[in-house]
Amino acid sequence: MVDVASLTSGADETYFEGLLCGEIRLQSCAGCGVSHWPAVFRCAECGSWEHEWNAVAPAGTIYSWTRTWHPFSGTEGFETPLVSLVVSLNEVPSVRLLGVFENKDVDPRIGEQVRAETTSVEFQDRSIPALRWSLV
Amino acid sequence: MQGIAGKVAAVGAGIRQYKRGASPLPETGVLVGAILDACEEAGFDPTEIDGFASYGDDHNEPVRLMPDLGIKDLRWCSTVFGGGGGGIAGAIGQAAGAILTGQASAVVVYRALVEGNSGRLSEAVMAHHLNSHMLGAGLVSPAQMCAIRATRMFEHYGVPMQTAEDVVKACYYHGARNPQAVTYGTEFSHEAYEKSRYISEPFHLMDCSRENDGAGAILLVSAERARDLKKQPIYVLGVAQGAAKGWGDLLENDDDDQYASAGFKSVAHHLWRQTGLSPKDIDVAQVYENFSAQAVASIVDHGFCSWEEAGDFIRFDNLIAPSGRLPINTSGGNIGQGFIHGIGMMVECIHQLRGESANPVPGAKICLLAGGPGAPIVSSAIFANEIPA
Repeated sequence: MVDVASLTSGADETYFEGLLCGEIRLQSCAGCGVSHWPAVFRCAECGSWEHEWNAVAPAGTIYSWTRTWHPFSGTEGFETPLVSLVVSLNEVPSVRLLGVFENKDVDPRIGEQVRAETTSVEFQDRSIPALRWSLV
Repeated sequence: MQGIAGKVAAVGAGIRQYKRGASPLPETGVLVGAILDACEEAGFDPTEIDGFASYGDDHNEPVRLMPDLGIKDLRWCSTVFGGGGGGIAGAIGQAAGAILTGQASAVVVYRALVEGNSGRLSEAVMAHHLNSHMLGAGLVSPAQMCAIRATRMFEHYGVPMQTAEDVVKACYYHGARNPQAVTYGTEFSHEAYEKSRYISEPFHLMDCSRENDGAGAILLVSAERARDLKKQPIYVLGVAQGAAKGWGDLLENDDDDQYASAGFKSVAHHLWRQTGLSPKDIDVAQVYENFSAQAVASIVDHGFCSWEEAGDFIRFDNLIAPSGRLPINTSGGNIGQGFIHGIGMMVECIHQLRGESANPVPGAKICLLAGGPGAPIVSSAIFANEIPA
């Protein structure tokens, strides 16, 4: 059982709850509809404190990447080298999400299409819901 | 010029640097030594220090320094938010503000780092930033966070990777000629650079600054008081600190036009406006390079060239003293001289403008300190050896 509150000190608890259900859920303002990421407590556009969380397709476009070779403390839960991606979501391109890249033997390229599955990553004594991206 | 220009001066600078793990004293002891060095060259009685400013979560609370320095009356102290080097120049701004408003009269800006006391800097910096989104993607270190930005700069904007190598080469060139530098006597070699192991692509080991033990301190007083001291005063012309909307969110979601930058969009704008200067007025610059590509982005952010011009402007020949168009990191910088969370670069601003650098830029009057790039809050400052007209 993942303690979702322990995963964040921000306004994105619902995001992690979504990952645990296999979904990417994103925040938009119930007042004016603006999409917020990182999640906010208050919408600075209209002043509302009410938000909606809706699932979006786990499809995106590679925005940037790095392949990590050094065995940094904290990466024990991964095999190195490890490729990390920043992915712009196709449904809401202004929102970018992080994750690991499954096709680790190829060099990713900015602009390539990828698709996510939810997964979990072990870090110290915690299990963190996360995304695993693969080339489409 | 307006604001603080010419009203506050650095009158002493001290630095004590050792190999990581080789400090002869714990952190506080090394720091006391660096502060005494700064006071001694200024001819200033350390018991008269009444203020302190620092950055990057320095562990040495000023009140702990009072017994060793004999300080009688601590009137003011402060630190800039953030765990990284982004606050380095901001600490100068805080000190200047305290002096100009009469809250303090003699302020030491300092940073000390001894691994045995504060642990590894990279881990301390990340403790500020780490969140579950990053951990879930295996991103746990400043090197990786800067690498992923660098990829965007190289791939999307087409900035040649040679620019980053040339920054490293310039740091080694200056460090090789500075007896105080860790790279003293070590010439850069392209083969060694290419062969140094990958840390996080595109960064090889030689793209990364590596931590040293040590401490640095700058003593600041009013320009008026500076006249009575021993050393040539080096004036603060301007300081800016902060973040523009769309920067610093920790989820790699910065605005598209800022993502590959070093985060200085607003800070550079404020710095030039505050001082009335522009990049062409800068004779020499200390460009904080935690990682090579972030220095490239910082040079672009500060307006010296565009992404498109970077390949032409950020070339080795342009970056070295005495005659490059923009000599940078003239002590060797973080990569070449050594890395005590950037404080050595601030000290070099003072040394360079006094004509005491190991790599002097002849006739240099104005020096930019471009602070730690890529941090959520960044800052930069400009120093000069004359009071502006």
